[in-house]
Amino acid sequence: METLIQQIINGFSLGSVYALIAVGYSLVYSILLFSNFAHGGFLVIGGYICYYTLAAVGNNIWVASLLAFLGAGVSAVLVERGAYKPIRERTNVTLYLLIASMGMSIVIENIFVVTVGGRFRALPPVIPMTPVSVFGLATTSAFDILSLIMAMIFLIGLQVFLSTTKWGLAIRAASYDLKTAGLMGVNVNKLISIVFFVAGLLAAVGGIFLSVRYTLYPQLGLITIKAFVAAVIGGLGSLPGAVVGSLILGLAEMLTAGFISSQMRDIVVFGMLVLTLLWRPTGLFGKHISEKV
Amino acid sequence: MISGYIEGIIILICVNSIAAMGVSLLTGFTGIFTLGHAGYMAIGAYTAAILSVRHDVPWFVAVIAGGVLAMALAYLIGVPTLKLMGDYFAIASIGLGETIRLILENWQSFTRGARGFPGVTNFTTLPVAASFFLGMLILMRFLINGNYGRAFKACRDDYIAASLLGFKTAHYRVLSLTISGFYCGIAGALLAGFLTYLQPVMFDMNKSTELTAVVVFGGLGSLSGSIIGTAVIGMVTEVFRPISQYRMLIYGATMVLIMVVRPEGIMGQHEIGPRLIRSIFSRKPRNEVDGAHG
Amino acid sequence: MADPILSLDNLNKHFGGVHAVKDFTFQMERGELAGLIGPNGAGKTTVFNLITGVYSPDSGSIKFKGEEISARKTYEVISRGVARTFQNLRLFPRSTALENVMTARQQHFRYNFFEAVTHAGRWSGNEKKIRETSLELLDRVGLLPVAEQAAGTLPYGHQRRLEIARALALQPELLLLDEPAAGMNPEEVQDLNGLIRNIHQDFDLTTLVIEHHMEVIMEICPRIACMNFGEKIAEGDPDYIQKHHEILKAYLGEEVEEC
Repeated sequence: METLIQQIINGFSLGSVYALIAVGYSLVYSILLFSNFAHGGFLVIGGYICYYTLAAVGNNIWVASLLAFLGAGVSAVLVERGAYKPIRERTNVTLYLLIASMGMSIVIENIFVVTVGGRFRALPPVIPMTPVSVFGLATTSAFDILSLIMAMIFLIGLQVFLSTTKWGLAIRAASYDLKTAGLMGVNVNKLISIVFFVAGLLAAVGGIFLSVRYTLYPQLGLITIKAFVAAVIGGLGSLPGAVVGSLILGLAEMLTAGFISSQMRDIVVFGMLVLTLLWRPTGLFGKHISEKV
Repeated sequence: MISGYIEGIIILICVNSIAAMGVSLLTGFTGIFTLGHAGYMAIGAYTAAILSVRHDVPWFVAVIAGGVLAMALAYLIGVPTLKLMGDYFAIASIGLGETIRLILENWQSFTRGARGFPGVTNFTTLPVAASFFLGMLILMRFLINGNYGRAFKACRDDYIAASLLGFKTAHYRVLSLTISGFYCGIAGALLAGFLTYLQPVMFDMNKSTELTAVVVFGGLGSLSGSIIGTAVIGMVTEVFRPISQYRMLIYGATMVLIMVVRPEGIMGQHEIGPRLIRSIFSRKPRNEVDGAHG
Repeated sequence: MADPILSLDNLNKHFGGVHAVKDFTFQMERGELAGLIGPNGAGKTTVFNLITGVYSPDSGSIKFKGEEISARKTYEVISRGVARTFQNLRLFPRSTALENVMTARQQHFRYNFFEAVTHAGRWSGNEKKIRETSLELLDRVGLLPVAEQAAGTLPYGHQRRLEIARALALQPELLLLDEPAAGMNPEEVQDLNGLIRNIHQDFDLTTLVIEHHMEVIMEICPRIACMNFGEKIAEGDPDYIQKHHEILKAYLGEEVEEC
């Protein structure tokens, strides 16, 4: 029983980190209708900026985090402007964007391999890992609780941004129909940049927590594929779906690791992906678009 | 004659081209985008390896068996998943490709997992690779230039119009996937016979991405383009092997660059042949429609 | 009408809250050339989609050559002898005009997978026939000079004719033309009228034409049905429809501009 509660808490903690990544990913998908496979790159950029800033300014997590968020956000905008914008202006075939995003993901990963090397780096223990007892039933670490809280703060912040600000409204309109939003006077290019900035920022938050949890290395971005699966389970393009899907996935992973085996984790993840696609491809909250004949 | 090193590169290009032909049929000619075809190569490879090493099956039979098993799996997967439109099939293919790799990695008792499967005889010599390459190329070309090719292209360009011309589009999509599975299975089996050693990581998402990328680079809808793309990537990989860290960086950057600058790929939708040569030398305006589709 | 080739009986189709086709009843005799008119959104294309199995009706029956086809899939309906063209053109833009027609033509000169990959058996004879008869069809509609040009690069009027040629390549018994004159100037419309009349006679087709251009419908269709808001509101010969038009316009105002 104790293991069960333990794994449930672990699952929510992991899921909340996935949620940060999946939400940014789904946000981009809802606007541009393509899967940005380079999303993991923003995560890694956030992680490395945080790491080097911590080393430089002496373990001040607040400064390091802020720089990481900004850096990842700006990188995301640069990637969009440099690689995706020229493609989407020429053609509306999302396949080309997809392949470019794959290339971009390889580029970002390997920039780090070539410059700082591929070895694993542990972040200094700026986020406390002290064990915490939960209602006397199980122990978890302060880290897990913190990551859960931080994820919630950022996700709520995003929700507030989307529902109360002018740009938030524009983004929601654009997620229904980008072209129409543009015709209604929204500066589409600026909107896309804002979306990418937000996505990059959220990815960086996730990246920092993941670096602490798993240590930092250039291929850490590959974990995005799980956030991607979460986004599909929740419904591509749906933000609440991304959150719910992430929590479900985190739970499934941790329960599998706890009760079956650690190796089966990934198989369960992809199994859930395949099952979702076979049973309900638009996911839990996704929208279904049909074509007019 | 030619050195063993160059011979090895040519064999690899022949073998990878066979897989590329399969993906070309599915993605370039039928319009179904896949990111998991390395999985079918893996099935072909491990089938051939296990049959030839553990059960003394003659290599030729083992290779065909690899192709057939991959083909059967492609069919079984295809029937339920090809109903998915747009990006969703590609996403499913990622899941399936990864699942196959993970199963191979974790089924240690059968496949020796990540430690690798050694001891395959080196049956993929240059004559073998070249013969398979030419044979399967001819079959594919004949297929694409006839009634089936026209049906696949109809399903690609406008599946609603295709159904209104009497085509069972679901049937053709499944057929295309099945054939592509066979081609990738054969390629995987031949790869086993060349490398004599297998590891599941050889068939990961990087390999799947590479297969799709060479088809896009070569030009969607051009069989010769896919082969040229494979050859180019094969040679570039070798040239940059000494600085392999930079190789991946350059590979990724090239992918981005091609999509930005010339997404229709090297050959666009043209094939190498008399028609292309005529059109290069004629002064009539090019009849090229934007290669974009979808 | 005794033994109609096409019989639509009380067809109904809803899309969400919209009643797109309402108790639609219509019949066609073999060899007839009829028109279907009505304002935008009246449900005309939906009727075509119901006949060809793209949608299935909520209620009502569709009989083709005496057989109930309302539950049939699209390819089954087409293989029974129905062909259609599209309001918004659905050619294969990257294929040549000839390839577009051959893709349809091959349904009548089949060969199997083995023959396809080995060039054995029926391949050679049938490929030749597919090509030759397709070229003949292109010649018929005046597109032989552009046979090897990519369909997407052809001028609009040519594309419309190509789509008709492709539909004819199926050797249909019932031809459904969805706004074939859309976007054409008066001269092209006259050519089109001639073309439709010719193919109707020479191929002994039953033809149903949806149109907005009254010059097409009034001139070539001896019988016309008019739809509005999913219902058939009038049916008769051109004179009748003209008079009906005045009455209905007076009654219902601008909604019924067409009838």
